[in-house]
Amino acid sequence: MTPLLADAATGERVQIARVDLDGEAAAWIGAVGLNEGEVVVVLRRAALGGPLHVRTSSGGEFAVAREVARLITVTKPETP
Amino acid sequence: MSAACHEPEAAYRTSGRPPPRALAGTLVIALAGRPNSGKSSLYNALTGGDAHVGNYPGITVDILEGSVTLPSGAAAVVADLPGFYSVEATVDKATDEGVARAFLDALKGGQRPHVIVQVLDPTRLALGLRLTRELLRARLPLVVVLTHRDVLQAEGHTIDVAALSEAIGAPVVLVNAREGATKAAVLAAVEDRQREGDEAQGAGTFDPARIAKGAVKDVGEATQLRRRQMTERLDAVLLHPVIGPFLFVGIMAAVFAAVFLVADPAASLMDLLIGLARVKITALVGKNLFSSFLADGLLGGAGTVLAFMPQIVILTVALELLEASGYLARGAFLVDRILRLMGLSGRSFLPLLMGHACAVPAIASTRIVRDPRERLTTILVIPLMTCSARLPTYGLVLATFFGHRSALFKALLFVGLYFAGILTALVASLVMRRTATRGKSLPLVLEIPSYRVPQPRVVARKAGQAARRFLRDVGTVILGVSAVLWVLLTVPMPGSSQPEGIERSVAATIGRTIEPITRPAGFDWRINVGLIGSFGAREVMVGTMGVIFGVENATDDPAPLTERLRDSKKADGTPVYTTASGLALLAFFVLACQCMSTVAAIRRETASWRWPAFVVAYTYVLGYAAAVLVYQVSTAFGIG
Repeated sequence: MTPLLADAATGERVQIARVDLDGEAAAWIGAVGLNEGEVVVVLRRAALGGPLHVRTSSGGEFAVAREVARLITVTKPETP
Repeated sequence: MSAACHEPEAAYRTSGRPPPRALAGTLVIALAGRPNSGKSSLYNALTGGDAHVGNYPGITVDILEGSVTLPSGAAAVVADLPGFYSVEATVDKATDEGVARAFLDALKGGQRPHVIVQVLDPTRLALGLRLTRELLRARLPLVVVLTHRDVLQAEGHTIDVAALSEAIGAPVVLVNAREGATKAAVLAAVEDRQREGDEAQGAGTFDPARIAKGAVKDVGEATQLRRRQMTERLDAVLLHPVIGPFLFVGIMAAVFAAVFLVADPAASLMDLLIGLARVKITALVGKNLFSSFLADGLLGGAGTVLAFMPQIVILTVALELLEASGYLARGAFLVDRILRLMGLSGRSFLPLLMGHACAVPAIASTRIVRDPRERLTTILVIPLMTCSARLPTYGLVLATFFGHRSALFKALLFVGLYFAGILTALVASLVMRRTATRGKSLPLVLEIPSYRVPQPRVVARKAGQAARRFLRDVGTVILGVSAVLWVLLTVPMPGSSQPEGIERSVAATIGRTIEPITRPAGFDWRINVGLIGSFGAREVMVGTMGVIFGVENATDDPAPLTERLRDSKKADGTPVYTTASGLALLAFFVLACQCMSTVAAIRRETASWRWPAFVVAYTYVLGYAAAVLVYQVSTAFGIG
């Protein structure tokens, strides 16, 4: 099974491999800070299936809805 | 016009558009940047808070601009653009990003000289540099201003400004917007940039992550790292899956309760002062028509509303502190799931919360919501939020019918009214997303900003603006309505069969005509006159009651309005108003959209009359139904 951002454990570092949103939405999310290649740490999850709180290697912190996190494929980071 | 509205401090103004102050040849300095990059602080530092609406062809949203003088002595204007992430990604024209992009396109295609100042948070350098790259690619003359130098240092970092400037091919200035030297440094860089022309800058081909890595040095020692740990510790509590939501609801309830508890004594004091002023006026001018106009018309009307200024100031300060500290973005994270269930998302949270101060700027602020259906739904339910213009009526009803209860009881009831508005808005949104605005939505991605200490000067200025605006409206709209009402309550209706006195007046006759409709809610002609008077602005209600009871009991002692309401009796000796009718009035005020400014704002944001008409219709139907229900149930349970 392909690992998804939504399934990453709290505290786990992962790298965004693919964003399966349509072109416009993916471009915008990329501009905001969640683009392919970005290394992401899941800091916490909101209760009852709420959003994920993530920090990116570019220094930004984001609330990402579970629905979006399920469309983001991740891998192990290239650099430790 | 809503007396309790904020002076909008965001990038737009919602009032009329005055003639342009800037001449065609004046340099335009456009402040651009991601949301939360420190743009507003820099705008204030450059302009000293000067703000008027700029005139830019093709831009339908009001952009605030302020005048500055460049080091050479030339005049320039600073335009404050809404925050945006990208100029390349396709965007909806109605959103903040669409507005900013249209503005930049217009500048580029127009004749006015311009320099773009990108405001960039250096603690998130790699993110901000993505936008820098896009602005350079768009061939816009650019100066990059890194704000929050203090935060950068506190986090134990330094930035090699010269190397960064060299690497991106644009001038870079590192400032702390709180310091006086910021203005001179930024304006000097802008003027230098203008002199150099278009050829001097880079083409935007760099890699933001690599550049940021090279420019930022971590010089943090253990003590300086405390700030980073503090953010993590704060988040561990404030964003805790269980504790976080409870804290959030508690903080909101505390804010609403504070508004009541602190402002209640102020309102009582004002009531007392008005009573004394009435006596003074009668003593000075004598008991005649003129003294009645002054004491009952102007003082009873506008003066009574004036007592509610402390509440509006307290609410403005509280919301501003929460927003500027970075807590509200975290609130959006906490409530996203609940809002999703109701067809909205965390993005709608800020506009909904701002609606508690005033719906007009809150409706404009929905431009941060990128999804069109979610944005429309948010606009349609914002009028249900308890805006500060409702507070005078809430305060009056509570003081009249629950004056003998404990302060805690009254505060709880007050907070309950706020939550009644919020709950109704959520249910209304759920219904709308299944009917009028149904369809799939874009899910949430929201940036969570760092914690910041709010700037006392900025908060104080916003509170001052809210107070001034309220005073201005009391001095114009409410004073005017009070005067007109006094005339309508004094002039007898031709052909009226009523005996002498106020009952025979034009206003009383109109109010009595609709009594058959409002009687099931426990309203009499006086309340009806108030409801008609407050159709355009709900804060007029209390002033209207002040005028009615002033004129009606002109010969009585100067008792406070609350006592006059409570003690008024029908011909058979039973009280005119009971607790049940007070509760029904509250129910009506929680729900009905009695605000023409809000209607105009919805019209502007939706570019149609259909949606404002829909809002007025559904909120009035809900308000009336709730008032009748509350009155009938209360009466049945013996709450008299």
